[in-house]
Amino acid sequence: MTLTTRRRPLLLSMLLTLAAQAGALSALLVGMAGPAAAQEELRIATSYKLMTLDPQYANLNENNSLLSQIYERLIYQDEHLALTPGLAVSWRAPSDTQWEFKLRPGVRFHDGSPFTADDVIYSIDRIRNFLKPPGEGFREYLSGIKSVSAPDPLTVIIDTEGNVPDLPLSFSSIFVMHRPAQGFQSTEELNGGAVPIGTGPYRFDSWSSGETLKLIRNDGYWGRMPTWPAVLFRIIESPAARVAALTTGDVDLADSIPARDVQSLKQRGVKVESIGAARVNFLQFDVASDTAPGITTKSGEVIGNPFKDPRVRRALAMATDRSVLVDKILSGYGTPAAQFFPNGLPGTSRTLNPETPDYETAKALVASAGYPDGFRVVLAGPVGRYPGDGESLQAVAQSWARIGVSVEPVAAPFSVFNTKRAAGDYGIWYGGCSGEAVDVILDALLASPDPKRGLGALNFGHYRNAAFDTMLAKAESLQDGLERDAALATATEFVMADQPIIPLYHFHHIVGFGPKVGSYVMHPRGWTTAMQTIPVTE
Amino acid sequence: MALFSLALGRLSQALLLLAVMSVIGFAGIHAVGNPVFNVVNIETATAEDIRRATVALGLDQPLWRQYLVFIGNVIGGNFGTSYIYHLPASELLLSKLPATLELACVAMLVAAPLGTGLGLVAGWRTGTLLDRIILRTSVFALSLPSFWLAMMLILGGAVLTGWFPSGGRGTTADLLGGQWSVATADGIWHLILPALALAIPNIALIARLARSGTIEAQGLEFSRFCRAKGLPARRILLRHTLPNIAVPIVTIIGLQFGGMLAFAVVVESIFAWPGVGKLLIDSIQLLDRPVVMATLTFISVAFVALNALVDLFHAVLDPRVRLST
Repeated sequence: MTLTTRRRPLLLSMLLTLAAQAGALSALLVGMAGPAAAQEELRIATSYKLMTLDPQYANLNENNSLLSQIYERLIYQDEHLALTPGLAVSWRAPSDTQWEFKLRPGVRFHDGSPFTADDVIYSIDRIRNFLKPPGEGFREYLSGIKSVSAPDPLTVIIDTEGNVPDLPLSFSSIFVMHRPAQGFQSTEELNGGAVPIGTGPYRFDSWSSGETLKLIRNDGYWGRMPTWPAVLFRIIESPAARVAALTTGDVDLADSIPARDVQSLKQRGVKVESIGAARVNFLQFDVASDTAPGITTKSGEVIGNPFKDPRVRRALAMATDRSVLVDKILSGYGTPAAQFFPNGLPGTSRTLNPETPDYETAKALVASAGYPDGFRVVLAGPVGRYPGDGESLQAVAQSWARIGVSVEPVAAPFSVFNTKRAAGDYGIWYGGCSGEAVDVILDALLASPDPKRGLGALNFGHYRNAAFDTMLAKAESLQDGLERDAALATATEFVMADQPIIPLYHFHHIVGFGPKVGSYVMHPRGWTTAMQTIPVTE
Repeated sequence: MALFSLALGRLSQALLLLAVMSVIGFAGIHAVGNPVFNVVNIETATAEDIRRATVALGLDQPLWRQYLVFIGNVIGGNFGTSYIYHLPASELLLSKLPATLELACVAMLVAAPLGTGLGLVAGWRTGTLLDRIILRTSVFALSLPSFWLAMMLILGGAVLTGWFPSGGRGTTADLLGGQWSVATADGIWHLILPALALAIPNIALIARLARSGTIEAQGLEFSRFCRAKGLPARRILLRHTLPNIAVPIVTIIGLQFGGMLAFAVVVESIFAWPGVGKLLIDSIQLLDRPVVMATLTFISVAFVALNALVDLFHAVLDPRVRLST
């Protein structure tokens, strides 16, 4: 209590304290069970800046994180990324080209109207036919759909072009909107004052772009009752400012805490939770070009692209000391990576484990590939995008110097980095990728580029491996389950033997919270929501 | 007539300035990178998605054509729609303006009188302990990097003592179509630390300027005459010295105020104070060209207007300027 009222004038704060105590006392007297903390507004400092109130416009975590409290999805992913019922209670595939979703009965939108199959059809239709570029962030998820129908208000039948076994996974990303009286609701309407209507645990109250989002409890929510009567999100992008707001008690919870601040926060009594993120940061090579930019002999003469040789890629992987990255740069809030999701999540291999550096063997391998004197590379990367990004370049440079490869780290702002990477200006670079399942990352990073099928979006290294493509396609044709996970793991093992990429680490999502919050349920996707924030109970 | 041609000259200068600024800003943002990578999710978007988004934003056109389209829209009063927020750029700018205005005004209302007062006193008592303290402190305050000063204010004023909130605007109230923190007690409470962070270097700057002006003025004949006449020191300082040293002080206040409106980025970021400076730097980072251009235009206009105001003020302060025009 003292923490939250400090900034008010003394007299006012005393009055408030008195009032709160009186309130707590009377609650005790009448024997109310509800926790006192949960009667207050929850204040969260978040790094996710909400950019639009249209939940179907852009597929960016910056939007999805906060909007996921207002709008809901047919299917959710639990902390182990397994699919769980959301607005759909069950789903099945009656045939190879059809999916049937049974919808949850008794769900109401925030305006009181019932949720039906028609709203699902509207949401699919809006993404596929109404939203125009650049607002088509979710179109790819629904690309396999041929037609949608509703035999009754609580059943949706989706016919697909061919076999689309991961359609339910796709629906774990699609927010369901309410069909308006006529036509489609435009992005401009939603941003310009139309109240966003969803079925979620919290209702929209107000939004100020880049500043705040205010939510109010949806008392008619179908699921576990939301605990906080009101939630104020403050968008604070500067990590130092987020930490300061948490330290002074201006907010009850803050996300994306820098690992180096955790120790001092703990000393001040702030509680901290963390989880390995369902994403990977890696080094990626240009494996196709005959000469790669920035790659020379030590004396500066241009040489052929050494990364075409798997032995060089292997040697560099062996000479990468991940423990420095994780222990020193991320202060322990990271997991060394040997594959694309943290080990143990669905679709990961048991046999791929981070190796300890072996500089002697690596040096010999580089020599046997024809570079006894080593070579020089320019290692590019974004700065300020991922935890530890800029510093990782320096650490890798030090590791590789031990096998005679001298590295010139070049860090650039993310937008500059992206433009240059897409233009082919880099020979080797640091990158990051996330996805709702591990095959999303494999599709983006390692599948042979195929714009028609949406493959290889991040495969800027032009890695092509026909055998791996086949294995991946085969795994993705299987139904969600252990068999699919095993096939994905095998494909990962197969492709990593060729070392097209050097996985570095999975950083941890870190949140800190003050006395009003009892615990926070971490999720590997790292979104920040009020539902995950459990009030303290006494 | 003379006034009219002066105004006309000023206006044409301002228009030229805006034109040059728009070319530099436009080409500069274009040179940094392609904004489309911030609009789509780079981790899932396919090459085709990126191409379609590029076309939709008009970024596939040659730069000169993009510029002509932009200028045409601006003449029609439209700066375009923010790539990132999907709101009209001018609307976005207007929504951030109250935050910056109130911060800059409060900071200057503190800095100008305090700086002038300290400078006058220091100049009047040259060589005394008080003068030395003011002089040394002002050197110290001027050489502080603003991010460090802001962090120290948070550390001292919020983290260690808990007197003030560490950031944000607090409760705002609706006034004249904008959201203002100065309209609520909680908002004013939030305003104090960031306003101090902006004011402290300016107090130092103005104090040094006022001090040297005062020392100079004291050696002049009119000051000696005043003293010989037996006028009390306070009257000499306020009625005679101050108007004589006011011209450079007003000029620097005008320039610094313009700077606060536009480039208080560091203070705004650290205190999570969502103003124009933060909008500009965020937009540059995200390559949100419509917003960058709208903000730059606003800043240029603000500087031109402030300079005109300062010149007008010179005329009020200095009878010689009045007579020459």
